[in-house]
Amino acid sequence: MDLILIFIIAIILLVPTIYIIRAKKKGVKCIGCPSGGTCSSCTGCSSENCDD
Amino acid sequence: MKIALTGNPNSGKTTMYNALTGKNEHAGNWAGVSVDKKESIIKKKFTGGDEITAVDLPGAYSMSPFTSEESITTDFIHDEKPDVIINIVDATNLSRSLFFTTQLLELGIPVVVAVNKADLLEKQSAEIDLDLLSSSLLCPVVSTISTNASGLLKVVTTAVEIAGNQQITPFSQAEINLNNKDEVVASDKKRFAFVNSIVEKTQTRKVLTSEKTAQDKLDSVIAHKWLGIPIFAIVMWAVFSISQTHLGPFISEYLVGYIEGFGGWVGEQFAGSSVFLQSLLVEGIIGGVGAVVGFLPLVMVMYFLIALLEDCGYMARVAVVMDRFFKKVGLSGKSIIPMVIGTGCAIPGVMASRTIRNERERRTTAMLTPFMPCGAKLPVIALFAGVFFKDASWVGTLMYFAGIAFIILGALLTLKITGQKIKKSFFIIELPQYKMPSVKLAFISMLERAKSFIIKAGTIILLCNTVIMIMQSFDWSLNLVEQGAEKSSILASIAAPFAFIFIPLGFGVWQLAAAAITGFIAKENVVGTLAVVYGITNFINVEELSLVGGANEVAQVMGLSSVAALSYLFFNLFTPPCFAAIGAMNAEMKSKKWLIGGISLQLGTGYVAAFLVYQIGSLITTGAVGTGFVGGLIFVSIMVLIVLYLIKKANSANKEEYNLHSAEKATV
Repeated sequence: MDLILIFIIAIILLVPTIYIIRAKKKGVKCIGCPSGGTCSSCTGCSSENCDD
Repeated sequence: MKIALTGNPNSGKTTMYNALTGKNEHAGNWAGVSVDKKESIIKKKFTGGDEITAVDLPGAYSMSPFTSEESITTDFIHDEKPDVIINIVDATNLSRSLFFTTQLLELGIPVVVAVNKADLLEKQSAEIDLDLLSSSLLCPVVSTISTNASGLLKVVTTAVEIAGNQQITPFSQAEINLNNKDEVVASDKKRFAFVNSIVEKTQTRKVLTSEKTAQDKLDSVIAHKWLGIPIFAIVMWAVFSISQTHLGPFISEYLVGYIEGFGGWVGEQFAGSSVFLQSLLVEGIIGGVGAVVGFLPLVMVMYFLIALLEDCGYMARVAVVMDRFFKKVGLSGKSIIPMVIGTGCAIPGVMASRTIRNERERRTTAMLTPFMPCGAKLPVIALFAGVFFKDASWVGTLMYFAGIAFIILGALLTLKITGQKIKKSFFIIELPQYKMPSVKLAFISMLERAKSFIIKAGTIILLCNTVIMIMQSFDWSLNLVEQGAEKSSILASIAAPFAFIFIPLGFGVWQLAAAAITGFIAKENVVGTLAVVYGITNFINVEELSLVGGANEVAQVMGLSSVAALSYLFFNLFTPPCFAAIGAMNAEMKSKKWLIGGISLQLGTGYVAAFLVYQIGSLITTGAVGTGFVGGLIFVSIMVLIVLYLIKKANSANKEEYNLHSAEKATV
């Protein structure tokens, strides 16, 4: 039973960790911005890197 | 193919961009909302399957930029040379809009003029002869309404048709020396005369702009220098009241019920397993995240109402009302725009400060904008208002206006420390037409923000709560801590020194200190951490359909008096909001000295405000000052002395400079 629980907890923690790493690689600066990710800073699309 | 959307501020560019691309970029019914360019592929229904990119550019009044966001527009058009320009023109303000249009037409890039807000023009009983306008400007002209996507297909089709053509200009500016002010003024006058001649022959108005309209009469009350303030207070009270005491908790009831039920079910399934693993999953992960998500409906309702207020044109009036106060402390009404945007999230608010030309004003605005209670702080406000105060709505309103008061005080302090004199600044804002706010757009904006809130709760909050739970369950030898002996845990030992500093503020216990510290990662963490360290999974009373109110179990577990709770709220709301906002401040201020000053000011303000609230509150409610008064007073006095020293230093520097100038004049 403990092993199953450890497995479930590991999955629960792994999913958000992978999500954050992937989002950061994409250039997202603030994960889950309360502004709905509408500002260019949150989406990582600042005037500098949008030109790339 | 790349199409640039350009035009004056608040002409409806972002609304058109959202309609064309299906994006949900933040749009507001006032100037200065967009400060950066965004690009995305236009929906196939507008392009017939071709891949066309739309670029939404910040608003600009002319091709000679004054502010950094105007430079983004002019630089893009000059350097990237889009295939076509869609120039969005505000139909209700044709003469002002066409100045920029005539400059765009000179560039040789094909232009389609979209005469936007055609619905508002009709309401004004005015008409524009589009064919005559088209023949006068020598470019296609299309009537559009961005809010309901009317005319957008025609605009895109026309843009595709004229791509690759050489634009002919109806007005050519002679070569002038841009450094010669008189030449520039004379040239602009000629352009305005040309624009006015076009407007005169293409536009017919039944009501002249010099005549007082119903909107003017309404503005004389809403934007009145005295009446405007109580009206603003009532509006904000209504927003907090609806979102935190009525509709928000009512919806929360269902959500919290499901989360609680789910947590209980999971607990039953793993009844025989390790106690630590069980509590990590049920209390740490499900309980901690659930406690934050329980506040989601409250946040959603607030976002919805703020979106309606922005869209109807009210927030632009607030800027006018506040301008008078802001001017007196070296800011201007332009600073209120980032601050209102900061009510949603401090980061776009801080970014919006780049519309301010004056460097000191811009930096001060970026530094003070995080004082506005953002959406992430709302669960904290709602929790404490609900748990410790019977009427939750006045607490939110108080925090909102306390934020404004700290901005004014902070601006005054910054002015004194930087040693600069107040320069007469002028604030000119074009008040948008009042209109029925779009419920659909507000709803979409609310859903987008709700999605982000859930993502944050499911990622950052979840991981933070797990770490908190593990740190609370183990000691430094990695042995499980016995129940009731959490003081020996890793978390308690890290938080305890901070708790000592917080004694004069009324919350010198390690649990509250730990929650305040995790709040610097994201403010919602305060709620999540409190849920984990106190083992409370439900902050919303399911049976009474309201937030748990006064002298309840939650309040007893926390062991705080109402005064200490208010002090804790002040500390959490007025210290730096989160690391991401600090990053945005750094990007906008472009000065390490200002950044350190800003963070120090926010930390100092939060501490001093919480100290005053707790000590004065204790004196009033119990007749004696609170615990740690002397220690706190010494700490606060040191802060005051540092500030006085900085002001004195600035004054001395000013005096030296003045003497130097006087000596130079005398020599000459």
